[in-house]
Amino acid sequence: MDGTRGTLKSLPITAVLSITALLAAACGSTNTSSNGGMAPNAQQILRTNSATEPNSFDPGQMTYDYENLIGRNVFETLLKPKPDLTDVEGAAASSYDVSSDGLTYTFHLRPNARWSDGQPLRAQDFLYGYQRLLDPSLAAGYVDPFFDTTIAGGANYGNIDPKNTAAVQSFIQGLGLSAPDDHTFVIKLAQPAGYFKWVAALSAGAPIRKDLVGSRYTSWASNPAGIVSNGMFKISEEVPKDHVTLVPNPYYWGPKPHIQKWNDYFIADANQAFSKYQTGELDALQVPLGTQDAVNADPKLKSQQHRYLSLGIFYLTPNLQVSPFNNVHVREAIAHAIDRDTLVNSVAKGQYVARQTYIPQGMIGYTPSLGSAQNYDPAKGKAALQASGLPTSAYDKIKLLTRATSTNQLINQYLLNQINLNLGVHWTLDVVDSKTVTDRIRKGNFQIYGPDGWGADYPDEQDFFDVYTTGACHGLNWGCPNNKTYDDIVGKGDAALKQSDRQRYYDQAAKMMEDQYWVAFLYNRYDVTLVKPYVQGITSTAIDESNYLPGDFNTNSIYIATH
Amino acid sequence: MAATAKGAPARGARLSLRPRKTRAANLAFYIVRRILWMIPVVLFVISITFVLMHLAPGSPWDRTGGRPLSKAVIDDLNVKYGLDKPLWNQFLLYVWNVAHFDFGLSYQYQNQTAAHVLLESWPATLTIGALAFVLIVPLGVALGVIAALRQNSVIDYIAVGFSTFGASVPNFVIGILLIIVFSVEAYHLTGGSLFLPTGGFAVDEHLILPVITLSVLPVAYIARMARSSTLDVLRQDYVRTAWAKGLRERLVVLRHIVKNSLIPVVSTLGSIFALMVTGSVIVETVFAIPGIGRSFVVAVSSRDYPMILATTILFSVVIAVANLIIDLLYTVIDPRVRLG
Amino acid sequence: MAAAVTDRVQEIDWENPEQVGLWKDAWQRFRRNPIAVLGLALVAVIVLAAIGARVVFAFHLPILRDYLQQDPANADLGLFSPGHILGSDELGRDILSRMLYGAGISLTIGVLTQCIYLVIGAAVGLTAGYCGGRLDNLLMRFVDVWYAFPDLLFLLVVVSVFGASLFTIFVAIGMIYWVDLARLIRGQVLSIKEKEYVEGARAAGSSPLKIILRHLAPNALGPVIVAVTFGIPRAIFLEATLSFLGAGIVPPTPSWGVMIQQGYESIFSHPMEVTLPAVSIAITMLSFTFIGDGLRDSLDPRMRR
Repeated sequence: MDGTRGTLKSLPITAVLSITALLAAACGSTNTSSNGGMAPNAQQILRTNSATEPNSFDPGQMTYDYENLIGRNVFETLLKPKPDLTDVEGAAASSYDVSSDGLTYTFHLRPNARWSDGQPLRAQDFLYGYQRLLDPSLAAGYVDPFFDTTIAGGANYGNIDPKNTAAVQSFIQGLGLSAPDDHTFVIKLAQPAGYFKWVAALSAGAPIRKDLVGSRYTSWASNPAGIVSNGMFKISEEVPKDHVTLVPNPYYWGPKPHIQKWNDYFIADANQAFSKYQTGELDALQVPLGTQDAVNADPKLKSQQHRYLSLGIFYLTPNLQVSPFNNVHVREAIAHAIDRDTLVNSVAKGQYVARQTYIPQGMIGYTPSLGSAQNYDPAKGKAALQASGLPTSAYDKIKLLTRATSTNQLINQYLLNQINLNLGVHWTLDVVDSKTVTDRIRKGNFQIYGPDGWGADYPDEQDFFDVYTTGACHGLNWGCPNNKTYDDIVGKGDAALKQSDRQRYYDQAAKMMEDQYWVAFLYNRYDVTLVKPYVQGITSTAIDESNYLPGDFNTNSIYIATH
Repeated sequence: MAATAKGAPARGARLSLRPRKTRAANLAFYIVRRILWMIPVVLFVISITFVLMHLAPGSPWDRTGGRPLSKAVIDDLNVKYGLDKPLWNQFLLYVWNVAHFDFGLSYQYQNQTAAHVLLESWPATLTIGALAFVLIVPLGVALGVIAALRQNSVIDYIAVGFSTFGASVPNFVIGILLIIVFSVEAYHLTGGSLFLPTGGFAVDEHLILPVITLSVLPVAYIARMARSSTLDVLRQDYVRTAWAKGLRERLVVLRHIVKNSLIPVVSTLGSIFALMVTGSVIVETVFAIPGIGRSFVVAVSSRDYPMILATTILFSVVIAVANLIIDLLYTVIDPRVRLG
Repeated sequence: MAAAVTDRVQEIDWENPEQVGLWKDAWQRFRRNPIAVLGLALVAVIVLAAIGARVVFAFHLPILRDYLQQDPANADLGLFSPGHILGSDELGRDILSRMLYGAGISLTIGVLTQCIYLVIGAAVGLTAGYCGGRLDNLLMRFVDVWYAFPDLLFLLVVVSVFGASLFTIFVAIGMIYWVDLARLIRGQVLSIKEKEYVEGARAAGSSPLKIILRHLAPNALGPVIVAVTFGIPRAIFLEATLSFLGAGIVPPTPSWGVMIQQGYESIFSHPMEVTLPAVSIAITMLSFTFIGDGLRDSLDPRMRR
């Protein structure tokens, strides 16, 4: 689809529901069995578990998925992804225009949009939200998609001294952001970026009311129950370490949610949460790996279990800057050494799906045929080691750096065993606590690391391919291929405005990754979630936080059926 | 004879003849000295913890999962929290702040002070700890005294067996086994669960399992101690005589027995208390209780320095204060003991 | 006159203090305590099994399956399954083999920590007791302060700093509890220092240190042995706790604590995988406690006939 012009209307709810039916065929994941119609309002209570309490309810400071779950329902950004993820549609902005050179985005805000305190939503609120997000003294975690080769003037973000108020102010004023009138918000980019529409949909780009922030620049949201927001829900209470409650925003412009009360709990212990699902205290719950067998053994639970696609990919990352992984044959050997099918079926008990390509299923650019190069073939693996021309001592005793999390334990041990068994080498596991691992991979202090991966910020290939550019070495990627040809290709793909052009470039980039075995692709994870049969109307997209609540990008369609 | 039957030997009598003013002054002096002594202890604790924490590789901003932060943001965060200053500078600043009861902002829960996070977690730990403490002293002493009085009988063997068991089996093992029996197996049998571990804190039957788990080890220790000290008391001639004389004499001497067995028990209450403090870390993890112990484990793995330091200081001070109270209590119970 | 006194003094056998029959007597009493003997027997079984298992693994004898060998297709088999008498774990590894290997780790940690504990505790206690005065005061203050530090917290922090190797863990555990031993030994040294034979020896020209050491050994040995015996289960417990909290031994090494942590994840699906190592730790700790109790009772001078 072209991205030059996006005239978007708000979709009536019937359209949303028919998309649900379409998706039922595509993704195979909707609840169709239940007793009856919609329960009365008093029973429209939804209870989910996101396991971790958000560190902040300030959308500018939210970065984790469990924070975005709340953030995107409480605040509404300019745009939002369409359920089939082929394009974006209007959210707070009813439409947007892009100039022919691709540098100026003009957003037309809805005149009837209002905050939860009744005040009209104005372009100045978006201006303030963006300016604050890009303020170096805020140190917002999710700011980089906004300044890195996107918004004009933003490239200097890393060089501003946050304590130098004058420098900060001049940086902010120099950004390509403006609000010419109450309902028009204009963003100027530094260079053309076909993917920018997705960036504008990130929950970090939420509008913020300057008058309500006042002097509490970083702490205005520290009392979440009081904050004024513009999304379809607002926060009615937050009990620390326990839960947060969302209720519908009476002033929301769009289709009102059926759910009248949404309690999101922070139960960190998976076993405890599982107990609560069984006793009916939770309506949706992720199935942790350890509990999968118990769920499969119980016919009732098994029928309530759903697998949702998620946009991510997991792989082993060799450090291409050190020996022996600067040798492509050694890298190839690893890709051939791992039996992915046993991994996903027996070890991961069906919660994973084997993958050998970068772009995940569920978004544009998914090309499984590219992955034939990384098939399971121990003979080929051994042959590749021979072909490398290196002495055995160069690759015999490698340490595989892994994180000491419980989810990983079994997978790590399996992977190590596979490599040792199938390649005849003697690698060991270097199991280190997560913080230290991050520290080491940033500094390039490892030989091979994994399994780790990338989860989509938004369903555009730019988000994936930019990770392996030279500029992102030691930042977003750890293997550091630092390949100029690749950088050029990806740069062209990012800047092109026609989707077909972009696809051409990205296909070249994908092929390069596969041929050079920069990483050994392993699997992707499903979100395996138990959902009570009376939770209906789920509009599931692959970019949802389906492990917490399937369909959380379109929560207004969810309802509780009588039961 | 009569005086000794009441348990107050000559020396105690002499103490009580001292002018009261001096005794009170002594007491006050002692308390003040002990409190002042806490300061170097706290400083020591802070120093060790501070050094250790900063030796650990990995900064608080290194993400354990999810999207990594960009270098620009990390630099800005370091400036925001003062981590770009040299270590000695940070240390002095920290000590200065602590003296003003400012424990800094938590790195995990942004914009909340470490003190605030502790205050939120405090009630859960306190409730379970207090319930357990109130339970263990009478239970442990009763168990020990009864076992000693009925030495070598079935009751004695059961009591000794239980206390050995309790002192030997790790508390998280007990916790897990309890969960298996009361949650997992109950689920298989009935489709529901009994005594679920609590999620979100409330004072209800969900506390039964955690309190039991926390209490087992201290009860065992106290019972063993009470039993052996009761045996010692029983060996004394006048006690044996009174016991032999019959029921009425027995009642009289029972009070004396219990009181004297309490003395060594009270002397170990300090370490029992410390035991429960660390025991709460494990119990809170197994039963997923949002208390201080569990937040400490999380803080260590997240390199949340302010939380780690604040929790360690809190624990040390609490233990020191508890020791002080117990020492004072000890002097009340046993007049033979002199302060100092 | 002085010579006569010296001769007289030298006649007395300073080398062999009175309690010659202590050990024999203690052993008799120990043997008559059924619980203690049971504990000893259990520990013997565990030790032999652990050693035997290591031999089997070292020489790849076919008696036991390899404790590292994975077989995901046969994961999570229950008790008494073909080929896996105690079942298999989530990766298809044999639980019996892992348990036996873990026994070795627990025992190693239990015993080795006591060595560190002994060395530091004895050194500090001896120095404090013997030197007395300012040094004693300082050391005892240091002991008090060290006591104030919550042990598990210290362990967690140390392990996260220095990594979780076997060596770090038992150095760290040994470093926490030496205070008890130091106090114990110091008390003993102080009480011996005041005894007449030390004065006499000093008068005779012998080094009081040597005398103290000679007399310290039989007097202190009893309580020290008991302390060490109780220290073993305490160390085992600490290692298991650390591993359970995720801060201890790293997989794939199957210490019991690691097995509990792994099994805890699937407690609803396969409860036996967590129960078996949990019960094993309990039994091991119990056995050492029985022995410790028995030793304390049998070495207690007050109970001697």
